[in-house]
Amino acid sequence: MSLFELFLIFTKIGAILLGGGYVILPIMINEFVDKRKLVSHDDIVDYFALAQSLPGIIAANMSMFIGYKLRGKWGAVTAMLGVTFMPFWCIVLLASIIGSLTENSYIQGALWGVGAAVIALIVLTVREMWQKSQRGIFFYTIFILTLLALLIFKLSPIQTILLFSLIGVGYKRIAEAKK
Amino acid sequence: MIYLYLFWEFFKIGMFSFGGGYATIPFLYHISQVYNWYTLDELTQMVAVASITPGPVGINVATYAGMKSAGIFGSALATIAEMLPSLFLVIIVSKLLRKFSDNFYVKSLIQTLKPISCGLLTSVAIGLLKPEIHDIKALVLIGAMLIFSWKSKRDPLFYILIAAIIGVLSALAGKTGLFSLLAS
Repeated sequence: MSLFELFLIFTKIGAILLGGGYVILPIMINEFVDKRKLVSHDDIVDYFALAQSLPGIIAANMSMFIGYKLRGKWGAVTAMLGVTFMPFWCIVLLASIIGSLTENSYIQGALWGVGAAVIALIVLTVREMWQKSQRGIFFYTIFILTLLALLIFKLSPIQTILLFSLIGVGYKRIAEAKK
Repeated sequence: MIYLYLFWEFFKIGMFSFGGGYATIPFLYHISQVYNWYTLDELTQMVAVASITPGPVGINVATYAGMKSAGIFGSALATIAEMLPSLFLVIIVSKLLRKFSDNFYVKSLIQTLKPISCGLLTSVAIGLLKPEIHDIKALVLIGAMLIFSWKSKRDPLFYILIAAIIGVLSALAGKTGLFSLLAS
């Protein structure tokens, strides 16, 4: 498969990808396992798990894993550029016209509603993350400490992540050594 | 100069955000407070537009934030900067694959990052709710959406479209004086 072909496939995937990052799995299985038989089902599921455990955007990570599998380093770069190609132009277009629309009172109304929806969505995302985690004393402690660090001590997100990752991994290491 | 900051901020987001597109919001929230690139209102607008357009939400929102901060070149820079850390990691991890996910430190790190991500996003929810406290209508709308979908979260598209329609209707009602008519 040529890099150009790879680019086109990921451009298509980027264009039909709507909703949360979790819809990417069925789309990728359909495209690379069922239709083209380029990647095995097991590999795709592995990539999905890995994509979630790496930092960054799940859908982009997964695209890069598949790109790398098919065409090495440049395959990963191509997949990265392909999957963001259509969304990029879509956003650029919308962002440049939205300013002139906000004068309209109906659009203002819509944006007001949308602002409320985003807050509700964030709360629901927290709940979803919460449900998907194994919750024990470790989870609750780190969660509460994170909130305190951000809200009371006003640490930045990155300071918070670095601090508690060190504490968390250190704690796990000590707990493991005691076993 | 702004390009340098933009690149660095979004590179950090790509390096430190875990758990899907909405996990990038705490960083964008932090940026809105440190730099004057966009306001909080514009941030919720960005998240909404990013959720209803095709493509990964976390990337879309970076594109949008880049556009707001420094035009089209800024948006390309932010988008690429956010994916660069993953690109390097994917290439490294692809070579190690199984060894990576079985590694003790990697496993503990992932377990630690889950509660941290929950905390980060909770603090953003609190930060965004604060200015809404005086807007009773907005609070009712948020409450209704939460109660309605507490059991199972639907597609983000669904909430945003419904809320936009409600917003337009309420603007319409305000204009035609429907509420004052009903009240009289």
